[in-house]
Amino acid sequence: MEYKQKNPDALVDMIDIHKYFGSVQVLRGIDFHVDRQEIVGLLGDNGAGKSTLIKVLTGFHTLTRGQIFFDGDAVDIASPHDARELGIETVHQDLALVPLMSIARNFWLGQEPTYKVGPFHFMDKKLMASESIHALADVGIHIRDPEETVGTMSGGERQSIAIGRAVYFGKKLLILDEPTSALSVGETQKVLDYTIAAKEKGMSVIFITHNIRHVYEVADRFTIIERGHKLGDFYKSEVTENEVADMIVTGQIPERLRLYEEAAVGE
Amino acid sequence: MMQAYLENKNEGRNIGLLVTLLMLAFTVVGALVAAMVGFWWMPLGEYENILLNDFNAYEIIVIIASIIYAVCCARTTIGLFRREQSSLRWSQWMFFITLIISGAILLSVVIPVGLKFALLLGQNIDLRTQINEEVGGLVPTVLSLGEGLISVSVLVLVLIALLALFVFIIPPLESLRRMEGVRLIVAPPRRLIQAILLVFALGIICVLIAGIYAVPLHLDKTKIRVAEDHRILAGLIFFLPAFFGYRQVRQMREESDELRRAVALTPGKFIRAELAKSPSAGAIIGFIAIFMTFTMATDLFLEPSSIASYLSNVATKGVIAIGVTYLMISGEFDLSVGSVLGVAALSFMLFMTEGAPVLGVLDPIPAALLAIFVAMVLGAVNGVLLITTRIPSFIVTLGTLLAYRAITLVAIAGGRILRYRDYHAEFPVFAISNIVFVALAVIGMALVAFTAYRVLPVLLQGAGRAWSIRRENGDFGTSGAIVRFIVFLVVLLILLAIVVWLVAVFGYHIDGGLVEVGYFDIFNGRVSAIGSQGDFFHLEIPRDANVRLAILWWFIFVAIFHIILTSTSFGNSIFAAGGNEGAARAQGVNVDRVKVQNFVIVAGLTGIAAIYETARNPGVDPLKGQGWELEVIAMTVIGGALLTGGYGSVVGSLLGALIFGMLQTGLVLVGIESRLFSGTVGVIIIAAVVLNTFVRGAQRN
Ligand SMILES: Nc1ncnc2c1ncn2[C@@H]1O[C@H](COP(=O)(O)OP(=O)(O)O)[C@@H](O)[C@H]1O
Ligand SMILES: [Mg+2]
Repeated sequence: MEYKQKNPDALVDMIDIHKYFGSVQVLRGIDFHVDRQEIVGLLGDNGAGKSTLIKVLTGFHTLTRGQIFFDGDAVDIASPHDARELGIETVHQDLALVPLMSIARNFWLGQEPTYKVGPFHFMDKKLMASESIHALADVGIHIRDPEETVGTMSGGERQSIAIGRAVYFGKKLLILDEPTSALSVGETQKVLDYTIAAKEKGMSVIFITHNIRHVYEVADRFTIIERGHKLGDFYKSEVTENEVADMIVTGQIPERLRLYEEAAVGE
Repeated sequence: MMQAYLENKNEGRNIGLLVTLLMLAFTVVGALVAAMVGFWWMPLGEYENILLNDFNAYEIIVIIASIIYAVCCARTTIGLFRREQSSLRWSQWMFFITLIISGAILLSVVIPVGLKFALLLGQNIDLRTQINEEVGGLVPTVLSLGEGLISVSVLVLVLIALLALFVFIIPPLESLRRMEGVRLIVAPPRRLIQAILLVFALGIICVLIAGIYAVPLHLDKTKIRVAEDHRILAGLIFFLPAFFGYRQVRQMREESDELRRAVALTPGKFIRAELAKSPSAGAIIGFIAIFMTFTMATDLFLEPSSIASYLSNVATKGVIAIGVTYLMISGEFDLSVGSVLGVAALSFMLFMTEGAPVLGVLDPIPAALLAIFVAMVLGAVNGVLLITTRIPSFIVTLGTLLAYRAITLVAIAGGRILRYRDYHAEFPVFAISNIVFVALAVIGMALVAFTAYRVLPVLLQGAGRAWSIRRENGDFGTSGAIVRFIVFLVVLLILLAIVVWLVAVFGYHIDGGLVEVGYFDIFNGRVSAIGSQGDFFHLEIPRDANVRLAILWWFIFVAIFHIILTSTSFGNSIFAAGGNEGAARAQGVNVDRVKVQNFVIVAGLTGIAAIYETARNPGVDPLKGQGWELEVIAMTVIGGALLTGGYGSVVGSLLGALIFGMLQTGLVLVGIESRLFSGTVGVIIIAAVVLNTFVRGAQRN
């Protein structure tokens, strides 16, 4: 089946995404797009399929049906490596860091800087240590010792490091899956600041949460998912925070907003 | 107290002067030992040597060490006398080192005595009849009873002196403290009770020791060292003051400055912190403990032939343990190595005797390469099975353990042994010009020089920086860089000396003539067997010493695989794959590929081990390698690798294997029945893992 891009100018355009785990149909035909330099809040109740959707986008899962367009091209993202090559960096909800490894090694995991001695490539450990300190300091995270094991740090610190890493390496798209669930109020505010900073650097951001309050402040648009279906896309100007919160809980679009949706479908 | 002394306050004067005096005494002792050994007044390790007027290795080491010790003590004494701040750290370390030395001296008595005691309990012999039979009468017993009494009386004297110290010297110091308004730590009466109890306990111990001496132990099998009781006195005289001194200088004032606090670690804390950083802390501690125990228990343990024997016995398993460590770090498990070893050994032998399918009968080197390739294919099968079926590797390799064993069982019909000798009259040899040896040695020289050229300047720079920090901050600087530089320099010099010596030896023999070398000897021969004339290398290795080349290959593999694991991105992905597979995949690591690669690496190393085994004893029986998998896993686990993945080290596997080897050889040497071997190993495994967990826990906090 041939798929056509629905939003030709979008950075990411995911069309008719299906994802089945055996008989479990987690995503049932979702269209989702992210424009350039846009912060999208991907919302939905727990178990709605948000994480699965972005895992499909980042190559962690292969999709059952559907098509992804990135930067205007139809792409086949077969592995997380491919996604990183495209300039997508992700902070997964459950898969952020390796606890028994040091900060520096976690930071560079998957793309360690190397130097050559004859035919052999060695990790440049010095560069890894110094760069990770600087890079994390740039996004406001100050670490004591890059050789410290991640497992000894608090949940908030770990989350900050994972986010710092994504911000540092991200080129086009930054995906944050429930970044604020383990964080204090102050730390949450910091994450929101990075998000805006990333947008100002020219990146787009997908910000996943089931807590509208965290994202309403920074997002330009909300996409709400409900049990594997998309409920709708709403620009911030169209909806109030309370309406979005209601939609997440009830899974129903309020009367006032249906017109927008029908108009959008009619196009 | 010491701080007060260094700040020239009155209250610390007594303690400070006492510590200074102690340090001076240690200086004198160090110098005395050096002189005594140096002028042959106190020969060491000269049981067989009739000529006392030369130095053996032990003596040279002791002389150098005690001179260094004396110089350091002298430096500390001067520092204390001048009340330099840095002398506190110096004296901490010197007291600590003295504690260790004197502790070792004490252990060298306690361990043999303890072992003899254990053996006595274990032996169901009526000792008195045995003694009477052997020496015919009671006289010798009375004699040694007399000797025992002498040592008891010496001990009693020491204890009285101790009592005096506790009762008459320390309480006045205490009351001095009280007068100056400092909190009184222990009231003098309690002191007294403690002292009496201490004397009582020590008295019981020495009566026990004396009692054991009174029973001459004619257990023929045991080679347990004669416990030289005069060492108790020497040890105690050393140990107690060092203990007292260490307690006095251990406390340091909390520095407000962050840097200073970080650096101002006491030796005990420093060592604990360093150990906590290492994945193989348990193995390091276990290695030292077991090595010390056997060294103290029997003189035979440090004989070159014993060292060679325990190294040779575990070299092949050690090579496999490297691979198993890789696999375990990446979160997987291989039970099939024993069977893979069997198949590889069989293939190697078959290719040389019956011939390979298309290629016919092969020379040893192609046969070895092909056999290693066969092993790697089996490993790849393991890996591919794992990632396609997603069955846990324990089950997959349990299956292949049985399946691969079937290959050897079927191929070698009737359970006979496939022997090289049955096909060829002679072991294969090749002739090479001895110029090749010289060339190899020169290449080695170039490699050492190149490493020096690359690494030395960097280390020197680091050391220089640390030195200047040290200068600016008084003593508080990072000395790690300096130590690293010195260690590297020493290692380099040793390496260079070896290589230059090799070049000289080979150069002496250079005449373009041909040397006959056995293929099997190159793989895993006795070192002394290489070269047609056994003395070609001029190595002073006794002919009967079982120094096998596999030891050398093993160490080389450990070095290479250690570097790959710690310093390449492949190594990084191995850790990540085992530590958190999902996170590794999310960062773009191809976890499946890493795992398959690791299975191939294990199998390849197993193939290499199979070549060693076959070369050592050119024959294969169908059950070759059976049961090895568990021993290798035990080595890996002792070495600190986590069964759950993500943690471990190659050096740990080396230590684990060495612990295994030392136990195997040492228990025999001490005369403990070899039936106890597996029981001992079992205890050691659990102890090592508990230690590893404990140290990792300490690191968390
Ligand atoms: N690997 C999987 N196999 C089977 N079911 C899965 C798998 N991953 C997720 N699911 C199911 O998909 C649904 C959506 O999960 P998820 O995307 O994590 O939700 P969200 O992130 O929106 O909370 C859940 O019901 C979950 O049980
Ligand atoms: Mg989720």
